[in-house]
Parts: sequence; structure tokens; C-alpha cells
Amino acid sequence: MAGRRVECTWKRHVAEQLKQRDRVQRQAFEEIIHQYNRLLEKSDLQAVLSERLQTEKYELQDRHDVSPGAESLQQEMAQIRIRHQEELTELHKKRGELAQSVIELNNQIQQKDKEIQSNEAKMLEYQQQIAQLEGECRDLRSSLADLERANQTLRDEYDALQITFSALEEKLRKTTEDNQELVTRWMAEKAQEANRLNAENEKDCRRRQAKLQKELADAAKEPLPIEPKRVSQTPPAGLLDSISNIFGYVDSLLSSLSLSLSLAPLPSLSLCVYSTVCQDAHDGEVNAVRFSPGSRLLATGGMDRRVKLWEVVAGHCEPKGALTGSNAGITSIEFDSAGSYLLAASNDFASRIWTMDDYRLRHTLTGHSGKVLSARFLLDNARIVSGSYDRTLKLWDLRSKVCMKTVFAGSSCNDIVCTEQCVMSGHFDKKVRFWDIRSESIVCELELLGRVTSLDLNHDRTELLTCSRDDLVKIIDLRNNAVRQTFSAQGFKCGSDFTRVTFSPDGSYVAAGSADGVLYVWNVLTGKLDKTLDKGHSSAINSVSWSPSGTYVVSVEKGSRAVLWSDM
Amino acid sequence: MTLPTPIIMADDKDVLRDVWFGRIPTCFMLYPDEVTEREAEPFYLLLPRVSYLTLVTDKVKKHFLKVVKAEDVEEMWFEYEGTPLKWHYPIGVLFDLHASNTALPWSVTVHFKDFPERDLLHCPSSSVIEAHFMSSIKEADALKHKGQVINDMQKKDHKQLWMGLQNDKFDQFWAMNRKLMEYPTEEGGFRYIPFRIYQTLSDRPFIQKLFRPVSPEGHVLTLGDLLKEMVPAAIYEPKKYQVVIHGIEPLLETPIQWLSEHLSHPDNFLHICIVPAPND
Repeated sequence: MAGRRVECTWKRHVAEQLKQRDRVQRQAFEEIIHQYNRLLEKSDLQAVLSERLQTEKYELQDRHDVSPGAESLQQEMAQIRIRHQEELTELHKKRGELAQSVIELNNQIQQKDKEIQSNEAKMLEYQQQIAQLEGECRDLRSSLADLERANQTLRDEYDALQITFSALEEKLRKTTEDNQELVTRWMAEKAQEANRLNAENEKDCRRRQAKLQKELADAAKEPLPIEPKRVSQTPPAGLLDSISNIFGYVDSLLSSLSLSLSLAPLPSLSLCVYSTVCQDAHDGEVNAVRFSPGSRLLATGGMDRRVKLWEVVAGHCEPKGALTGSNAGITSIEFDSAGSYLLAASNDFASRIWTMDDYRLRHTLTGHSGKVLSARFLLDNARIVSGSYDRTLKLWDLRSKVCMKTVFAGSSCNDIVCTEQCVMSGHFDKKVRFWDIRSESIVCELELLGRVTSLDLNHDRTELLTCSRDDLVKIIDLRNNAVRQTFSAQGFKCGSDFTRVTFSPDGSYVAAGSADGVLYVWNVLTGKLDKTLDKGHSSAINSVSWSPSGTYVVSVEKGSRAVLWSDM
Repeated sequence: MTLPTPIIMADDKDVLRDVWFGRIPTCFMLYPDEVTEREAEPFYLLLPRVSYLTLVTDKVKKHFLKVVKAEDVEEMWFEYEGTPLKWHYPIGVLFDLHASNTALPWSVTVHFKDFPERDLLHCPSSSVIEAHFMSSIKEADALKHKGQVINDMQKKDHKQLWMGLQNDKFDQFWAMNRKLMEYPTEEGGFRYIPFRIYQTLSDRPFIQKLFRPVSPEGHVLTLGDLLKEMVPAAIYEPKKYQVVIHGIEPLLETPIQWLSEHLSHPDNFLHICIVPAPND
């Protein structure tokens, strides 16, 4: 509050001082100066008027009616005029000010007008935009409705198709079931037939046995002459001969039966000790060897471009004939399942088929661009699959003798085997490829540790035997495509890229030829090496074949020799 | 102590009006050596303290042109007791500085010849006065608000300030000028006070320095504080000097901020005259 009082002091002082100043300086003189100026004006006016009157007097001397009243009137009028002029100047000033304010207001108005215009323009724009957006919205809604309807239709169709599909599935299932039933019935019938035949055979057998026993009894009563032992390794006793004869009959019967019915194959007899050597089977390397399905014929193929046929008679190989026609060495030989055709693949890029009854060349299948390393009949005997050095596999139709399909395998194919649906090929790139015949595509690929040189299937086609350059022979279970067993031996070396190995007909033994000329036989059940047969070969063994009867094994070597092993 | 608020109170408005309408009775006499046709009579006029000589002396010119021959007339100029009067100082300042304690009316001599080129500026037209007036306002605002307020005003506002002064319109002028008298409340006053201190016997025309209205500690500074800093002799020898603003002597404890707001001239400067005290 003290501050306020102090404040009031100086403020009041200032106010009072100003008032006093005005009193002294202004008010005292204001009136006087005003009156003085008026007097001055008047005197000026008087002076001007008197001057004018003077001049007028000299000019208008005969004007008598210049009354003093008029003078005073004129003076008054002059005064009035002056006053009016002052007012006029004041009004001019005011007018100037007003004009200025008018100009300012006009400017403001113009500005506002401009703003209004721009706002209106904007509003128009916005309205247009709104109309456009509404149109778009309507279009979108209608298209949405259309899409929903289409969607609904599709859904209905889909449901209908689902129903049809399930009905068809049901039908298929039923048909498959019926099919299965018929197949099993047929199998049962066949089994019955086989049993009947078996029973007949047994009866026959027993009859013969009885006869034999009788003969034996008779013979036992007589004294027998002793014969000198032969040098050749032919069997000594005629007794055994006749036994083998009997078995020979049984052999052929059963082997023929096994062809037509899928019966269990013959057990191989305890293995060969004796060997028959055929020197100079070919002029040059012998590459391939194969027994015919009937076990009596044997075919060998070599670098001398010939396929030689031999008959196996009582432990000997009798040359029967030769098939010519190839322009380069033979790489693989196969008989068809009936034994009436022989298929040989050759280094001259072609595969050839001869008929067995007249040894005539029937077909030449050309088309490969590299040596054909392996050719097989498919199970229906109407088609052939061949694998070649040119990395392709070709499927040939025998009726039209044309190549039906070519499959690029990616690597040179060394050997092929076939099942009903599947073709298996072993390749240079260590892989075994499984092909589906119909779809022409790889079903599976197995990789081994060395180049695959040979493939063989067992009798029921459940196991695949492979030989590879890493000196391992493997059995692959075809049901799960996995290696089941591996066989190796200390001296066993895979001699070439085309060394062929084989199963025994019952699948219990595996035979493979080694680079040092020794034939190794392993027991599948134990997995161990069963026999090594080294008396016979002088050079690397190229191929091995086991007779379907199980009694003979033939191996061929680089040194143009073929050895027949038997247990006779 | 409460700080003064920027709201102009009722008695403050009276102060403003009194400052605006202040008048000085002046007697204009023609210089005797000027050639005249007949004797020139003196011309009396109440001059506004806040205006400028060349703006308000049209009547004087007209009066004396009646007696002076047209061919002898050059630019009119004024002089008091031998000192040419600078038209660019406000009239009140000229009177307080040169003739504050003399007898009234103020006798000013009118000349039409021998214009003193070294002492006075030429004033060919009113636009020169306007330019000078506006530049003073801008300078004052630069000190008060860093020039922000005057720069925010439009050209028509500047025009209004000038027209208000020219036509002696208090309301028109102060409608705009009050913006220049505002300050942010937290500051407590202007940035610097625009002032000029004139002294009669000084080699400098005036003293103008930076001065804050509020001390760094927050005290409101007064007229006495300003003078202590700028012209200490006026404080320490009070009997010798008078401190005159607008013809009055404010108390030394008057806050300088209030003085700047209410006792500034229309050009927004606080013109302070330090004159020798009369020894009567």
C-alpha cells in the first residue's frame, strides 16, 4: 500500500504540473492570440479592401451610389467569405480524411469479396468431388453384389461336384474290392491246380522210386564190375548219373512249371566243386553270358561280335551255333521269358534280336548315339528297354520296331533290370535310378559308393543285387529301397565297369566274378563268403550267370575263356 | 511494490490528453533585415508542443508573404535569440531547451533568406517531416520491442499515426499508438527505454543510450536512476539544474517505464531537457 501511495504521489505531481503548465502557457494566451489573429485578419482585409477601393475610385469616379452602407456590407461579405473559405479548407481536410477512409474500406471490401469468391470456388470443387465419390461408391457396391452372387454359384457347383466325387470314390472302392476277390479266387484255383500236378508228380516219382528200388535190389544181388577212374573230371558213378538224370527230368518239369506259375524257385544244390573249362570260347574278350530260361541253352557274347550258343549236356558245353549280325562287340545278352528270342546289345550303338529256332536276325534297333551297354525285355516281351553310353534309356516297341520313348538319365547306363512297373538302371554316376514305365519319370534314386556296374533281380523281384566299383556287392530291399546287405571279400575286386553279378535262382546265394579271376559266392542268409572258386580262370571275370535250375554256374572272362561250374 | 500494469487508467488518460494538447504561445516576428513593402506585424500562434515547426507554420508563412516580396523568398526558417531552431526537434523540446524560464510568449524570429546550411536541415515538403517522424517511431520501437510491433503494423496503420499527428487527432493517433505502448507482462516493461537527454551547454546534440526500465534484480527503475547513470551532475547538484519534460519537472522517483508510456512524444521518444535552474 505504501507503494500505491508513493505511486500516487509522483503521478499526482505530474498531473498537477501539467495542469499548471497549461494554465500558465496556454489558457493565459489562448484567448488573446485568438482575438489578435482575428484583428489581424480584419486589418488585412481592410487593407485589401481599401486598396481595391482606391483603384476602383480612380477607375469608377462617376459612381456616386457607392454608399457607406455598401462598404460596410462589402466588408461584412468579405469577412463572411473569409470565414467560408476557412470552413471550406476545413471541410476539404475532412473530405480528404473521409476519402482516405473510404479508400481503405473499399480495399477491405474487395479483399472480402475475393475471399468469398475463393471460398465459393472451393465449395464447388468439393461438391464435384463428393458427387464423383458417390458415383464410385455406387459402382463399387454393385460390383460387390455381383461378386457375391458369382461366389455363391461357384460354391453350389463345388458342393455338387463334391457329392459326385464321393459317389464315384465309393464306386471305385467297390470295384477294387470285387477285383481283389476275383484275383484271390483265381489264385486259389491255380494253387489247387498246382497242388494237383504236384500230387501227380509225387505219385509218378514214388512209382519210379519203387521201380528203382526194385532194380537196385536186383542189381545188388549181382556182382558189379569195377571200372577204372577217369582222368577227366566227369562224375565216376553211373548211379549218380542216373540220379542226376532223374533230377534232370524233375529239373526241366519244375523249371517249366516255375515259368508259368509263380511258385517258389528251386533251392540250389550244394555248390559246385567241379568246373568245365571251355577254352577259346570267343576270339577275344567274352563280355556276357546268359542261360536260357530252359536251362539247357547257354549264350555267350564277346568282342568278336558273335553270340555263341552252347548246349549244356551232362556237365559239358557243346557248341551249338553262332549268331552273327553285330558290327561290334556284344555287351549284354538276354533271352525272353519263353526262350524263343535272344536280345543282344552291342557296341555298334544298336540292339539286335534273333529267333532261337532258326538263329536268324530278326530286328535291329538303332537310335542310340553311344554303345548300348544293356538291353532287356520288359515282362510282356513286347517291349525292350536299352541303356546306353549316351546317357539315355530307350524304350522300344517290338511290333512297330520303333523307339517309343527316350529318357535322359544323366549318366551312362551300365545295366538294367525290369519289374512289372519299374525299370531299374545302374549308372556311371554311382546312382541306381528307378523309373516308372508309364510316367517316364524317376520314382527313386539310390546313391552307392562306386560306379554301378551290374544289377540283378531275385526270382520274386523283391530284392535288387548291385555291384559297384568300390568292390562292394549290395542287396537292396525293393519294398523300402534300402540297402539290406553288403558283401565284400578281401580279394574281391570289381574288374571293369561292366562286371556282371548274379543271384542264385532261389535267392540264397550271390555269385560275383573278381578281377583276379576268382569266382566268389556269398551266402545271403548268413552274409558270409561261402566259396571261392579259383581254379578255372586266368584273367578278370566279366560276367556270371546261374542256370534257372540252380545246378550250373557259368562265368566268362577277359581271356576268352568260359568256365562252367557244376556239382556233377 | 506492485508493477504498473499496461492498462491505461482514467487519470493516466488525462495525462495523455494534457500532454497531447499542450500549447506554447509564440510570437513570430520577421527579421528586421528582411526587405518588406510595409511594416510586418508580429504573428501570434499557439504552437502544439508535440508537433514540428514546419508542419504548423503555414499560416505564419502566409502572413509574412503578404509583406515580403515574392522574389526574395527562399525557404523559411526560424531562430530564437540567434540560435537557428531545428525543425526536426519537437516544438516543446525546442522551447524547454532554449526558453523554458523566459517570459511568455516565446519570441521566434522568422527568416526567409540566408538559410543556415550548416545548422538546419531543409524541409521541402511535408513528406520529409513524415519520413522523419516515422523513422523516429521505428527507432523507438526497435528499442522497446526489437521493432516487432511496428513491423507487424500495416502501412495504413503507419499512415494513421502520421495523419493523427498532422491533423491533431488525439483518438486517431492513440488508437494505433497504444499498441506501441504495450509490453509482455512477464517483462515488467519495455526492453529498453527510448529517451534522449538534451543539455543546453553540451558539445553533443543529445544523450541516447541503452537503459532497461527494470533492474536485473527486478526493481523498477526511476527517472532518478536514469539521470544518475546518464547525467549524474543533475542528481548531485539539484539546485543547479532543472529536469524538464513537456514543460514540467516530474519527481525523481517517477518510474521511468511510466514516463515512457505516458510522457513520450508522439514519436515515442521521451525527450528530457536539462536546463540551468533560474536563479531568482
